[in-house]
Formats: sequence, structure tokens, C-alpha cells
Amino acid sequence: MDRKDKLFVLNEMCEMKNCNKCIYFEGKKKQDLYMWISNVPRGPSAKFLVENVHTMLELKMTGNSLKGSRPILSFDKAFDRAAHHTLLKELFIQIFGTPAYHPKSQPFFDRVMSFSIADGRIYIRNYQIVEDNATLAEMGPRYVLNPIRIFEGSFGGPTLYQNPQYVSPNEHRRAIARKIGQKYKGKLDQKMARELRPDLPSYPSDPLDDVFTTAQSEEAS
Amino acid sequence: MDEREDDSEYDSDTELQRAYADGRLKAGLNIEARPPRSFINNVAGMKQKLEEFQRTDLSWFERLDVTAAPISSASEEVVDVEDEFKRELLFYRQAQAAVLIALPKLSQLGLSTKRPEDYFAEMAKSDSHMVKVRAKLQERQQALERSLKAKKLRELKKYGKKVQQEVLQKRQKEKREMLDAVKKYRKGKIEKLDFLNDINEKKTKSAQPKANKRRDWKNQKFGFGGQKKRSKRNTKESTSSSTSSMKKKDNVTGDQFIV
Repeated sequence: MDRKDKLFVLNEMCEMKNCNKCIYFEGKKKQDLYMWISNVPRGPSAKFLVENVHTMLELKMTGNSLKGSRPILSFDKAFDRAAHHTLLKELFIQIFGTPAYHPKSQPFFDRVMSFSIADGRIYIRNYQIVEDNATLAEMGPRYVLNPIRIFEGSFGGPTLYQNPQYVSPNEHRRAIARKIGQKYKGKLDQKMARELRPDLPSYPSDPLDDVFTTAQSEEAS
Repeated sequence: MDEREDDSEYDSDTELQRAYADGRLKAGLNIEARPPRSFINNVAGMKQKLEEFQRTDLSWFERLDVTAAPISSASEEVVDVEDEFKRELLFYRQAQAAVLIALPKLSQLGLSTKRPEDYFAEMAKSDSHMVKVRAKLQERQQALERSLKAKKLRELKKYGKKVQQEVLQKRQKEKREMLDAVKKYRKGKIEKLDFLNDINEKKTKSAQPKANKRRDWKNQKFGFGGQKKRSKRNTKESTSSSTSSMKKKDNVTGDQFIV
């Protein structure tokens, strides 16, 4: 796929590969990662900003599971409140769930994939089920999805939802840079203000104090 | 083009002046207000779409989804998102709740949730990676133990000072007793000098020379102790000594003179 191609091309690619679900990762500026999830032929689709990614390669994630074992999908209660969250929940179930009896799947259940809502973002964690009494060990990856938009179609179409709290990483970086720049600007402004300020007397002085000082006495002193 | 822009500027200026005259504007820096951004939230559309693509024909076993509140939390507490530990604990408890709901359901369906010991299959993480993980865990544990040990040692040191003081006091006490005994002996109250023997025994025990024959021999051969710096100096003794080679040479030259 070319960089300049419209995302709509993905629909055709999915059709060619007989896929009806699609996850598309989009890296921008070598530092921002966007994730699209889509129900391919007819939508809906959603775009997220992926934040705080911790991969499975990190050594502090101690869990491990069978490759291809079907995850139990755990959702926060908050997913049933707002309409857009309910929609996303259904999308997540269909996309991240492994179909039963899939040839590449395993017949045992040893991992949980947890979706929680906090701070308007969706936190995703993966745990291994160590014991049946619900002792878990995090196996990764862990990441946070910041929803941007939900579209009616697949990779396009009319917008169903727009996150009002979303701030693009560009804007965020600009705000930080501005904050730093403000310091210098403040200094300059202060300097200007000092120059413009009229030279007012700092304490009241009697104008009659120097009545008797003549030019001669000034020279002498 | 320029003229038109000027016109518009002029218009806006007059507008502002008029607004100021009416009292709608105040003196000072005025910033043009922007209309608030409107965000789309088409709830009806989303509900319709959800109905459209929802797979109600699938059983729970096909979907494996669980919606649950975190366990052991009576009310829905608001956890500070910035506090990583509390936040992660909340997610962990939520996953636990989901497992506690899902596993009994699965076992009801007659499915094993646990992998038998003799079932070998490819894992999500490779064995070499897991070795690394285990090594890291061990390292962390060792570091923890080390720090605990250091802490204990520090405390012991504090305690050790007390012990040292006690030892010093004990020594002083012994010395005092010994002096007393000496005094008594002088005055003739005690006939025997047994108390001295006790101390002598102690001293001999502590001051026993360590026998190291090899070292002794080396010291004998190469010398040990003392200044070696000026040992080859031309001194009064060296000139007068007959063994010196210099002297012999002098003698030879002297003989030649005589002849």
C-alpha cells in the first residue's frame, strides 16, 4: 500500500484476502501511532491514537500464554453507558475475539484481554490466567487507545462520533513548546514595559530643598 | 484586491468604534471570540449502526466477552489516572472479576480451562525470552535482599557501638581489679602472685607469633624493614673498610705512583 493511497484501498485489499475485520496501524512523523479498526464491508470503523505502548518484549511482563489461545474479553461497566462506547465494545469483541474452533487457536483458556475506560481513554491490558482462582500475570502488550472519531462506513463515511477531549499530538507538542517560549517572551515584555514606564519619583521630595544651591556651589562640590 | 481589503478593515474599524460608543466594548485588549467548536455525537445513528452489525446469532462461547466491575470494590470509586499503581490494580481487579465469571461458565460447557502438563504447543513468548524474564525477576529479588541485608548491617553497626563501649568498660574494670590486687600484695595482704599468672596467660595467648617459615627465610634473604635508601652511600665506614673494591683500586694506583 502506498503512503499516498486513500484508506479506502484497504477495503479492497480486505475483500481480496477474504477478511471482514481489519486493524490498520498508521505511523506518523516517526513518533505518533494511529490505529484504525474496522468492520470491513459496511462499517463502522474507528480511529484511535495509540499512547503509552509497552510491548511483550519488556521483561517486567512476566506472563506467557499459548500462542493463539482464545482470550476472554473483559469489559469495564462504563462501556454500557455511552452509545459510542457500546459500539466500540461490539467492535472490539468482533475484532479481538478469536472465533471458536479456529484452526490456529488452542483449546485452552489461559489469557484475558481487559478493556477499561479511564480519563476518556480505553486502557488495554493482557493477562495470563495463572491459576483458576483468578491469579493473573501481566503478559503484555499494554497500551492506551485515545478515540478520535467513529465513522459509519469502513475507513470513511459520515462521522458518528467525535471525541471532544481529543488533542492531537501535534497540538500537544505545540502547547509545550509555547509554554517554554513564553518564558523568553515574558522576559522581553518585562524589559519593554520597564522602558515605557514613566520615570516617576520614587519618594516625595521638597522642591524647595535646592533653592540655595547655586551654580557655583555645585561646581565647588 | 488591496483596496477591498482596506475597505473591509475600515468597515471593521468603524464597527468597533460604534460598538465602543454603544458601550458593548471596553477599553483594553479585545480578542475576537470564536464560536465554540461543535462535536458530532450522533447517538441515534450509532445505535442504528450497532443493531446493524451486532452478531446476535452468536452464542456467548463464540464471543467470550464479560462485562464486570472490578472485584472487591463496593462502589464505583474514581481512581486517579495519574497514580499508576492504583490504576493498574483497578484493571487487574477488573480482569480478575471477568475470569471469575468466565471460567465457571466455560467449565459448565465442559471445557477445560487449564492446559495439561503434557500438552506442548508454541507459546506466545519464546523460551529464550522467558529465561530472560526469569533472570530479571531473580536479579530484582536479589537486589531487594541485598538492600535488606545492608539495612540490617547498618542497624547492627549502631548496636555494635554500644557493645564496644561495654567492652571498654569491662577492660577498665579488669585493670582496676588488677591494680587493687597489686596494692594488696604490696601491703602484704596477699602472699601469692596468682593474679599475675592469669594475665600473663592471656597475653601469651594473644601474642603468639605466627610461624611462617617461608616468609622468615625470604626476609632473611632479601631483607625486611629498615631504610634501604642510603645503604650504598660513600661513608666513613665504607672507605675505611678493607673489603671495599674502591679501596683496592686506590691501592693499585698508589703502588704505581711509588714505582
